[in-house]
Amino acid sequence: MHLRMDPLSALFLCILVPQMLAAALSGMRGSVVLWLFCASLALTLLAATPFTLVFGLGLAGTAAWLLMLRLERKAAAPYIGVALFSVACLIPAMFLPPGGLAFVLVLLGTGAMAGLAALPQGASVALSGGLMNVSVYVLIRYGFIAFGAATQPWWGLVLIIAGAACVLPGALGAILEVDMSAVLASTSLAQLGLTLVALGIALRAVAMHNPALAALALQAALLGTLAHALFRPMLIIGAGAVRHATGTNSLDWLGGLLRGMPRVGMLMLGAAAGMASLPLGPGFAPEFLLLHAVIAAAGTGAIFARIGFVALLAALGFSAALAVGAMVRLIGLGFLGRPRSLRAAAAEDTGGGTLAAMALLGVLCIPLALLPGVVLGALVPVIQLLAPQADPLPLAYAPLSLALLMALCGGGALLALRRFAVRGTREVVAWNGGFGRPPVWLPFGDPTTQPSATGFAEPVARAFGGWHPANAGGGLARLRRLRVRLSHAARRIPLPSPLALMLAALALCLLVLILGQGS
Amino acid sequence: MFQSLARLLATLLHAALVFGLAPLLAGLIAKYRARLLGRRGPSVLQPYHELRRLLHKTTLLPETMTELFALWPLVAFSALAAAALLIPGFCTGMLDPSLGDIITLVGLLALARAALLLAGLETGFGFGGATAARIALLSLFAEAILLVVLLSLALATHATTLNGIIRAQQAHPGAAVSLGFALLSLLAVALAENDRIPAESGGDDQEPAMAHAALALEYSGRYLLLLEYTTMLRLMLWISLIAALFFPFFMARAADPLTWPAGLILWSAKLTVLAAALSLFEVCTARIRLFRVPEFLGLAMLLGILSCVLLFISQQAGG
Repeated sequence: MHLRMDPLSALFLCILVPQMLAAALSGMRGSVVLWLFCASLALTLLAATPFTLVFGLGLAGTAAWLLMLRLERKAAAPYIGVALFSVACLIPAMFLPPGGLAFVLVLLGTGAMAGLAALPQGASVALSGGLMNVSVYVLIRYGFIAFGAATQPWWGLVLIIAGAACVLPGALGAILEVDMSAVLASTSLAQLGLTLVALGIALRAVAMHNPALAALALQAALLGTLAHALFRPMLIIGAGAVRHATGTNSLDWLGGLLRGMPRVGMLMLGAAAGMASLPLGPGFAPEFLLLHAVIAAAGTGAIFARIGFVALLAALGFSAALAVGAMVRLIGLGFLGRPRSLRAAAAEDTGGGTLAAMALLGVLCIPLALLPGVVLGALVPVIQLLAPQADPLPLAYAPLSLALLMALCGGGALLALRRFAVRGTREVVAWNGGFGRPPVWLPFGDPTTQPSATGFAEPVARAFGGWHPANAGGGLARLRRLRVRLSHAARRIPLPSPLALMLAALALCLLVLILGQGS
Repeated sequence: MFQSLARLLATLLHAALVFGLAPLLAGLIAKYRARLLGRRGPSVLQPYHELRRLLHKTTLLPETMTELFALWPLVAFSALAAAALLIPGFCTGMLDPSLGDIITLVGLLALARAALLLAGLETGFGFGGATAARIALLSLFAEAILLVVLLSLALATHATTLNGIIRAQQAHPGAAVSLGFALLSLLAVALAENDRIPAESGGDDQEPAMAHAALALEYSGRYLLLLEYTTMLRLMLWISLIAALFFPFFMARAADPLTWPAGLILWSAKLTVLAAALSLFEVCTARIRLFRVPEFLGLAMLLGILSCVLLFISQQAGG
């Protein structure tokens, strides 16, 4: 067990700590398994030898499975399977010489682990955040440092393609799913894809000796990982609070939550602005850097690669607009408007730990939103560790002056309206295009006359080949059916007993350790 | 010292012109449209009268609103106003050095759109929700095409700020085929973003099924004024964006006040001509079904990608 700390592990520890604090605050304080999970994640991040790293990762997978057994027993099976698969991929990668095969094995192992976070059942803060970050860490550690000398441009291309293959289905799922936690799981997948795309561009640039582009893309990847690790848990904790308050996470049964849950609602709104990568939110600086990296990448290289980058930019534009649409739908249907059920009407704000966890993450988002340049300055040692010749440029996006400009415009408009417009306001029955007031026995109107989450998704679903059961024939519908079938199959895997599996996993981990001592 | 003073003055003048002339431009387009249809049409000053009328109306608050009801028009206006100020109008080199980046512009447009969609969903009634969903669909294409077109311009000029792109275009003027394709596809986005594609209901119908107007259905008084003004400002923004990116000829330099009059005259001429082109297109197209609009925009997307590909080929052949 050799441990050491370099800038990269320090950065990922900094990413891990707030997430785990938030997870502990939001109600898992007493769980021994959570702390075991944290310890194994820290072990992976601080590992000095490949064996310690694989041991930590295997341990983390096992702990995740145990956590899942407590949370939702039926959905736990994929976790142990994926943990075993990742370890099985990473062990041969340790023995192979640095090269293409080893890289593909590492990518498979870490990709499977990160993909777990996109399972809707696994939308727990600790699990999705912890596993995703640690697998991104392992990927960076191997791709840029351990295999650094043997890097090939096609590794980067593989990463970019894998990332794009996560971004588009994730972003589409985010606007089509009706369940709030499924929406968040899909956005997690899309965010993972964005990180992979940025890492791929960086890896390709390193292999092609283009340090300026590598620095830009690494800035995007690292800042993105940092930012997502703050606002994604906020949204997940908020969705949990909504479920606790209303008994459901289905957007079709929520609505008007901002009245009953103002504090959770406002924090969710801020986090959603980050997730949608809107300017002045915490998520815009990474998006800005990533798009600039793609633009810069499209300016160099062979003609086919350049055309590919144009298509990639179009795909990223699609997914950015989809993310905005998905977050508008989440906030607009869940928190604004009228309640769609009595429980949504009677929802009350949570207090204590949950709110504290969200507030902690929200406060940490502020420097990312307003001073991303300072945060990027702190990332310079990490970037120089990963791409030695790189000299990161300062950020071209200035949120503070942008905020000042917008405040001037908005303030000017308010002053002018106050000076010239008629002052009074009057509360009235909503006009609703001329329809009358709802009958007294429906205090919030008939819920079926409101826009629903399914209905909001309908135009996009129709344009992209039918997610609906009504026209099940398109590619998306087939993909979704496949996913449902796979997840059912995973649930039906005959588990001998949790204990036997645990023992098998432990035996595998011990084997790794023994191999490590032997070499 | 004198130069920075001149740049400050140019920036203030630009702000005054953009904010002051936005309703006039909307009136001009309505006038052109009416004339092309053989009607006399309202006066070009009509939008000013409508805004003044709204000043005197009491603001009604629907009882199903949340506390954020008043926030959305303000956010939408602030974001669009900031974006409109960042686009060079009659001169280049105003006081916005680090802000006029193309990605910041795309982000500000997305922020304004998100605030408008939330305004439509605010009170939870059918019209606003249905329109928000449709606009969300069209925005997918609009944002992707805008990014691709800006990429094509950035690659052609090796710059990623609006000022940089314009300066490079001025230094090497030339009518490239790729630039023409980019212009066509940006025009298509401008039409879609401003509700100028006649889908199901045209611009001056009462039926609010499609236009941004349906998002503002529950707003009245000063909030409605802000939203209507934002719509006019968006039209101004897109037309001056196209003018600045594709026709950057004879723009004044902010530091040199002697060049301002010519720049001002030519800028207004460009806006007038582009407004005429816009209304001509609007009048000449038949209504299309809403779900054919993605096909139309997909074509525009292809044109944008084609413009990048042509650019690559010409750069490879040339260098």
